[in-house]
Amino acid sequence: MAIANESHQEEHNMQEHHGAGRYVVIWVVLLVLTLVTVFTGRMHLPSFGLLLALVIASVKGTLVALYFMHLSEHRGANRLVFGVSIAFVVLLIGFTLMDFGTRFRLANPPGSQYSDLQAVDIGANPTEGRTGGHQQIQKQGHEVHE
Amino acid sequence: MSSAHVTPGSVPGPKLAAHFASLEVQKHAARLGMWLFLATEILLFAGLFACYAAYRFLFPEAWAASSRSLDLTMGTINTVVLITSSFTAAMAVHYAKEGKNAMVGHMNVLTLLMAVGFLVIKFFEYKHKFHIGTLPGRYYFYEGIQLPGAPLYFTVYFASTALHALHVVIGMTVLAFATVRAYRVGDFNANNYTQVELGSMYWHLVDLVWIFLFPMLYLV
Amino acid sequence: MTPSSSIAAPGAVPGHEAHDDHGHHPSYLTDGTTVKSWLLTVDHKRIGIMYMVWVLLFFLVGGIFALLIRIELLTPGPTIMDAMTYNRVFTLHGVVMIFLFMIPAIPSIFGNFLLPLMLGAKDVAFPRLNLLSLYVYLAGAGFALWGMLNGGLDTGWTFYTPYSAHTTTTVAPVLFGAFIIGFSSILTGMNFIVTTHTMRAPGITWFKMPLMVWALYATSCIQVLATPVIGLLLLLVTAENLFSLGMFDVARGGDPVLFQHLFWFYSHPAVYIMVLPAFGVMSEIVSAFSRKNIFGYRAVAYSSLGIAFVGFFAWGHHMFVSGQSTFNAGVFGVLTMLVGVFTAIKVFNWVGTVYKGAVEFSTPFAYFCGFLFFTVFGGMTGIAVGTVSLDVPWHDTYFVVAHFHFIMVGATIMAFLAALHYWFPKMFGKMYHEGWGLVSAAFIILGFNATFIPQFLVGNAGMPRRYYEYPERFQALNVASTAGASLLAFGFIIIAVYLTYALIYGERVDNPWHSKGYEWLTMSPPPTHNFIGPQPTYPEEPHFYVDPKKAEGEVSDV
Repeated sequence: MAIANESHQEEHNMQEHHGAGRYVVIWVVLLVLTLVTVFTGRMHLPSFGLLLALVIASVKGTLVALYFMHLSEHRGANRLVFGVSIAFVVLLIGFTLMDFGTRFRLANPPGSQYSDLQAVDIGANPTEGRTGGHQQIQKQGHEVHE
Repeated sequence: MSSAHVTPGSVPGPKLAAHFASLEVQKHAARLGMWLFLATEILLFAGLFACYAAYRFLFPEAWAASSRSLDLTMGTINTVVLITSSFTAAMAVHYAKEGKNAMVGHMNVLTLLMAVGFLVIKFFEYKHKFHIGTLPGRYYFYEGIQLPGAPLYFTVYFASTALHALHVVIGMTVLAFATVRAYRVGDFNANNYTQVELGSMYWHLVDLVWIFLFPMLYLV
Repeated sequence: MTPSSSIAAPGAVPGHEAHDDHGHHPSYLTDGTTVKSWLLTVDHKRIGIMYMVWVLLFFLVGGIFALLIRIELLTPGPTIMDAMTYNRVFTLHGVVMIFLFMIPAIPSIFGNFLLPLMLGAKDVAFPRLNLLSLYVYLAGAGFALWGMLNGGLDTGWTFYTPYSAHTTTTVAPVLFGAFIIGFSSILTGMNFIVTTHTMRAPGITWFKMPLMVWALYATSCIQVLATPVIGLLLLLVTAENLFSLGMFDVARGGDPVLFQHLFWFYSHPAVYIMVLPAFGVMSEIVSAFSRKNIFGYRAVAYSSLGIAFVGFFAWGHHMFVSGQSTFNAGVFGVLTMLVGVFTAIKVFNWVGTVYKGAVEFSTPFAYFCGFLFFTVFGGMTGIAVGTVSLDVPWHDTYFVVAHFHFIMVGATIMAFLAALHYWFPKMFGKMYHEGWGLVSAAFIILGFNATFIPQFLVGNAGMPRRYYEYPERFQALNVASTAGASLLAFGFIIIAVYLTYALIYGERVDNPWHSKGYEWLTMSPPPTHNFIGPQPTYPEEPHFYVDPKKAEGEVSDV
């Protein structure tokens, strides 16, 4: 009756009634972290800005999952489901980025950081409607030279 | 603190469906089902995150410039609003466990109000973008940023925020049902709060996704 | 739990006592005969039967498309249709067969019917969601069919951008239909996982679950984790097609290969959604018809999970020639080999089960033999096309077409037919004609070989897939393939006839195989809540035919 035990244990944990205080603390921490991430985001840190923002977001997300969503009181299967789903998000993004990072340069989209090809001119060619250019837009001198 | 385990039957609880072994198992099943559903939601957004990651990797300059064209104040206010609404949603579960149905209703109404506020702020952000022309793909006509990849940023921006807004609306619907029940029937108690709990879990997921979307879109 | 009174005691031939009770307890088939009692049922067995009706209907539709393709390819030039129609026909063949037939086939029909029976449960965890998944499936199918009747699409079932974003054919409704069907798949998967976790009867621990349950569990994990990604992707492409948002448009810096990444993140694991339940079916059948305990129970169970897991690490092998980086291609190529390891574990265990078994060569076992050959052959060619250097010349030729048909048709349809024959008495309490069963199995297995072995050869000779015309020198092999397809179709017609006959006039049976599977512990067809009286107990392992301790004296190496 392993499953009954698991259900029972989870039920028991969920019945443990915590005061509202815990939620308030989490809420305040989340707000503080939001301010921190806005503050660091505005500094426009050159290389690790996005990384730092994502780390802060992960901390916030973990707090929400563990305490607001009660994952800290749930048992085996629920945690496993959440963990596995996060792992597969990382898998999807990781392998995809690995491709872009190691690709033959001419195979990357033109105009991108990792391509030697000139960008398709996004200010030009309004008649074809391919680039979203509006009539009044003058060509800007942004083209990457080959 | 009522930490003692309540045996089914002592307090009026939900109906036990005939095919479950016990009420505990039934609740466990509901919770596990909800987690699986939330996992699918996470993977749903993962596709967009992958698009974001790929194009951010390819067009870092356009990404930085475009993200700075967004209104950070509005974005921050929206984040605060959503986190606070998540807090009230958690409080609704707290009160449901205590059997304070009126408070459950009040908390959910607060959550719903903040959700509406979120959507209103989002609407004004969208309106501004339609005005200046920072639109996806072929509709892009903003003169300020003419870097390659800039229209892509707004494709990702609109796709992810629109999908998120759709989830906000779905979450509001779910919470509205629990609210009506809390006010009309008022039978939530320590033994019967699954509906509030699952609705609030969904709402936290909406919050969770926004917690990641906010720095990705506004703070690159 | 109180000991069962009306259910056969463990060890006795199960079902007979229940059979006597038949008059008092209507089976699920006769408990309520109105149309409404079927359409609004929450009984997993009735939902499974309704799935069967629709899935078989779509199988027929997809099969007709397949025959049209084969007839068109009889001659090198135009035969019965123009090129544009041909493009639509092969697309619709793929879409119907994959999204409407292959993915729901075994999990939704046999999984729905059997999972609660195998777990000793009265129903799945969320019966109403189960019914919803059927109607969501039908709604999606309706969208897709509507799109097909309104012109159809010509992108191939892979919907690759940029073509799918620009083609003038009816892409949007079909994509949206596939998106909706994804929800049905997710609902079924969620339901099965929760059922397996929470509904197991007392005595059925994780390692006493039948192997079919393990396979369905692994399948459900894939359905839950992978399907949302393609759901999102189909939405994006639909939006791209309708509004040109530019997500995958090279002119705006988008990357079509990113589409392929997201597409195959679902669609490669989707192959295992199709084939893992087939492995589960075969694990049941091989044990039941060899009258022997399954060899290496844990290895087979774990390898199901293993395939589900490593299946997620192999998607890039569909993109070796599409501009993906060579580094990624190498990594994916190596990871692809892992799938072969887990599949081989299963194959060896099945063979180990048959070894020195008292084989009863009836129709399901005939399909098992076909299945074993096709899986090994399809799997080995899969390893071959998963090797980067070999895939480059073979990519997008008929070699690949033949390879994946060996897995999808060879493994999945063989298992589907085996399951249909093996559990036909369980579902309807009637027996089909064994002789005709073997005849049609012969037609199907031979016809299948005749259809696809020529395609291996013609692909190896360089004929690309999806082409409307081909050089004269390929004609002989194409004719052979079409001839094989007709044999295959003939086999299916025989099956349709004798199973329909058996449904009406078949001999009344309970457990014609003397199978020890848990699902046979109740009467056939089962009563509405699966078991009469209290829940049965499960003291024995599943697939328990020979007691190793008692058999030690007779057979030294069991």
